[in-house]
Amino acid sequence: MDPVKDRELEKNIEALDGKGFSTETCEPESHWRKFDAIARMMCEEPAPEPPEDLGERVMARIRAHQPSLWKVFGEALLRPREVSFHPLNALRAPVSGQECSFYFIMVGVFYAILGVILMVGLQRLGASLVAPGWVRWQPQIALVTAGCMSAIGLYLLKDGKLALRMARVGTLVYLGFALLNGIFASLEWDIPVSAALSLLSTLVGVPTGFFLIRAIQNCGKRYA
Amino acid sequence: MKQIDEAEIIGRVLGGDREAFAVLVDAYKGPVFSLALRMTGSIQDADDLTQESFLRAFQFLGRFRAGERFFPWLYTVSLNVIRNHLRKAKALPEETVGNEVPDATDPRGDAANGREKGRRLQGYLLRLSVPVREVLVLRFYEGLGFEDIAAVTGDSLSSAKMKVYRGLEKIRVMMEEDGFADDETRS
Repeated sequence: MDPVKDRELEKNIEALDGKGFSTETCEPESHWRKFDAIARMMCEEPAPEPPEDLGERVMARIRAHQPSLWKVFGEALLRPREVSFHPLNALRAPVSGQECSFYFIMVGVFYAILGVILMVGLQRLGASLVAPGWVRWQPQIALVTAGCMSAIGLYLLKDGKLALRMARVGTLVYLGFALLNGIFASLEWDIPVSAALSLLSTLVGVPTGFFLIRAIQNCGKRYA
Repeated sequence: MKQIDEAEIIGRVLGGDREAFAVLVDAYKGPVFSLALRMTGSIQDADDLTQESFLRAFQFLGRFRAGERFFPWLYTVSLNVIRNHLRKAKALPEETVGNEVPDATDPRGDAANGREKGRRLQGYLLRLSVPVREVLVLRFYEGLGFEDIAAVTGDSLSSAKMKVYRGLEKIRVMMEEDGFADDETRS
């Protein structure tokens, strides 16, 4: 492939619009003259008229259209949204409700994965039977946290003051709970997993909570 | 139609006012019908596909991004409907060689000659592969620029241009084989 030739060809093709391609420099038997003639023939073809009642028939189908609940739900999820992930910007600049929602949903996803890992992990270790109560409940706690965070995230999509207030309360509860969870789990040092859970709960929960609170504050600035 | 009007109409439709969609149907039924007819060569199919395209556009209107132009988006939806139809029907072009292209008023008064030319061209088009056919139709019948064609078909700019080149070359060869070239391309 010759790049210069390709560029020349693309240039000619672009100029060939069926209206004013210059064939003066082309040889009489040049393909470009013939291409121009074909392009002109196509451009000069009158546009076909659609049947007169076509619009009315289209509208009749649209009026009769009843989407299934599943489709409505799918479309609501697929609706384009402005989602960006700039955690540092979220700490400084105003963020939209949709961005804030994204952060909450991501936290929800994290806890959902954590919950599943803990559930499987505790069973494999045999700890689900011997572990003290608070440690045994960790998978369920993670899954409930995931559900709450995702629900707040979805509610934030509405981008309203009430949703923000809910998110603020939810985040404060989450932050407090992350601290308490770390403390309770650390009190049960008799099994090794409790130490790991205590660390995880505090190391992940506290910074995440502060980040979400800051994001909510920056989101709320738009209503100030 | 101005973009701001379209945005307002789309907003109304998304807000539940289905009747507002009639404005978009009226504005674009001609180009969509024309696209479907050129791609299939059948008035009945073009009629069905136009209806299907608008219905699909209505169903997926929520996915339309504010600020974009509606027309290329509608063309993309229509082209997907047409491609699906052609894939399902496995249309055999030779059987429908432009027999159904409707008569249209020939501005030069040479109606019979114009109709014959149109029929032949439609026949050649239908013998091309679907991806090549669609770029030729969008470029020369619908008058779209290459950037719009690339956006509608999902091709890169240079791929769209190469398809146009290949399509024209194939039509030129077919015309020469038919002896049609001697009459028309020399004029």
